[in-house]
Amino acid sequence: MMKIKRILIANRGEIAVRIMKTAHLMKIETVAVKTSVEPNAMYLASADVIFDNTDDISEIPVFLDIEKLIAIALKTKANAIHPGYGFLAENAYFAQKCIENKLIFIGPSPDAIYKMGNKTIARRIALGIGIPMALGSEGNIANEEEAAVIAEKIGYPVIIKAASGGGGRGMRIVRKPDEMEKMFIIASKEAEKAFNDPSVFVEKYIENPKHIEFQILGDTKGNVIHLGERECSIQRKHQKLLEEAPSSALDDELRQKMGNMAVQIAKAVDYYSAGTVEFLLDSEKNFYFMEMNTRIQVEHPVTEIITGLDLIEQQIRIANGEELKFRQNDIKLEGWAIECRINAEDVQAGFAPDPGKIESLHMPTDSCVRVDTGVQVGSSIVANYDSMIAKLIVTGKDRKDALKNCKMALDKVWIKGTKTTLPFFRMLVRHQKFQDGSFTTAFIEKDLERYYFNSEYEEMLAAWLATKLFIEENLNDDSINVNFEHGKEMSPWLLNKRINQF
Amino acid sequence: MANDNLQIKKLYALSSENRKFSFSLPLKQTIRIGKRDYEVKLKADEKYGTYILWKNRKYPVEIVRSSQNKYEILFNDISYTFTVETPFSLKRMKVLSSKRGKIEREYIKAPMPGKIIDVLVREGSTVVKGEPVVILEAMKMQNELLSPVNGTVVKVTAKSNTNVMKDDLLVEIKL
Repeated sequence: MMKIKRILIANRGEIAVRIMKTAHLMKIETVAVKTSVEPNAMYLASADVIFDNTDDISEIPVFLDIEKLIAIALKTKANAIHPGYGFLAENAYFAQKCIENKLIFIGPSPDAIYKMGNKTIARRIALGIGIPMALGSEGNIANEEEAAVIAEKIGYPVIIKAASGGGGRGMRIVRKPDEMEKMFIIASKEAEKAFNDPSVFVEKYIENPKHIEFQILGDTKGNVIHLGERECSIQRKHQKLLEEAPSSALDDELRQKMGNMAVQIAKAVDYYSAGTVEFLLDSEKNFYFMEMNTRIQVEHPVTEIITGLDLIEQQIRIANGEELKFRQNDIKLEGWAIECRINAEDVQAGFAPDPGKIESLHMPTDSCVRVDTGVQVGSSIVANYDSMIAKLIVTGKDRKDALKNCKMALDKVWIKGTKTTLPFFRMLVRHQKFQDGSFTTAFIEKDLERYYFNSEYEEMLAAWLATKLFIEENLNDDSINVNFEHGKEMSPWLLNKRINQF
Repeated sequence: MANDNLQIKKLYALSSENRKFSFSLPLKQTIRIGKRDYEVKLKADEKYGTYILWKNRKYPVEIVRSSQNKYEILFNDISYTFTVETPFSLKRMKVLSSKRGKIEREYIKAPMPGKIIDVLVREGSTVVKGEPVVILEAMKMQNELLSPVNGTVVKVTAKSNTNVMKDDLLVEIKL
């Protein structure tokens, strides 16, 4: 029986929309929180109940305010909370508070969140059950001198990581002893700012690895299985841009080996709900445990496509106390899926965020394309949150087919109002190293001369337009006979609202 | 300008990377590729906004900025900056630039609102093109602002741990 009747979505954007979509299919009601930052956000339209929090003047976003969220859940008579990703999704105290208030937390146990959230504890657990790991410090390290001693022992380059970290913050690579002091301080400061915890540890830095992660599902009866891998090697500043499933770097044997390891790690913390075990894979196909994420991931759709499962539904059923209806042998991976994160970023300015208002938005409707988004025409990509516009998820029968479909789909996406990562993906799908699968996490930094693609004539067409504008503005003398057709052909000056003066 | 008009037969669009595109006047609605002329049209409608139609494909276009003869155009999500010159102004520009030299100062401004995390240069520091000078945090990302030129820092107005607005001056570099 479904105990979960009404879920408070403690999140916003596309993941709020995504969770509500499944909840509706399961006939479970949802509550969304309306904030003053995005009072007209698209996710609000999907909710059965909207809690108006627009008069909240606190500087902390409501999605990070544990007491407030619990109060909202109780007030709106929700009996479960889904945290989505980011915000409080991996906060053990939040999960604990939900339980104390008799709210079902749709995620793992507070204990599992705590153990895997603390990277030094997670390291110890993984080492204890014989999971391969990069050499590193036993626990946290106190200062740069201690870091230097360990680095000397395991050999440079090393990476300093935040114990409570994630998302690439509080992380620094140190290649030479004389960089240690500076990098240690930067990493520690960044960790304190981002995670309220300055503790860091040191690990051997694996050069040019692939990022391979395994999707885990566990229930409260002790069953844990994996749903195959995702490859997320296309990253910049340790933030993922494109993910695919499966990975061209794995064969069945390696998949089975890594998948078993991932299941063992999950079992070591009595894991239930959806989770992800991340590994680095070096060029010799050695793999190293990196961390476990105790939440639904941004890139979960690629796994949904190759397994045919709805991961949000599984999370809800597990939280409801149900047993998994399938075992490892029932899981068959079929086809190929690629997810492009279309963000409001300026690729030509090194992926700097480019917040703005979405003026027009068209996504392909082909059957091989799935779009997960939380914005529509008129929505603003605000500086308070991340820069995601949409996830373009493309399917094919194999990698080659998926790539072909992806190239087609990218040309059909039409977004006006902000700059986007589209030109980057258009370049990527044409790049030899991406096509042949030999790319690593160093791809963007090392293998690219240019971050974007334009076809041969695009610059010339832009030059033609600049010239046309100049003529219209300056040369209106009859003698040069500039005649613009009437009707649908438009003067660009009348049309553009975004004109600024230099 | 009016006096020049009668004699103008050509215009040049110079890209920021110094590529030159020339167009004869009156400006044609076609562009010649090899031996064939292809029609190019600037259009707009409710659904797509402004676009260029070329070889049966729509490309989104926007004018991001313009001043005098300088245009920044977003074409298919990529930005291009051109200055449009007449044969006379091109000649004049060449003469002037040989006399006056090039730009002497480069101003690094905040490309978006955010918080200054770190200032990596001081007044008097020498910087090389591509070197990070300021780290700005915005939208959950730390962004390194790079020096576009080789030069010497003459002024630093950015301060760590302060919030800045878009286009606030952060660092001034003398070439």
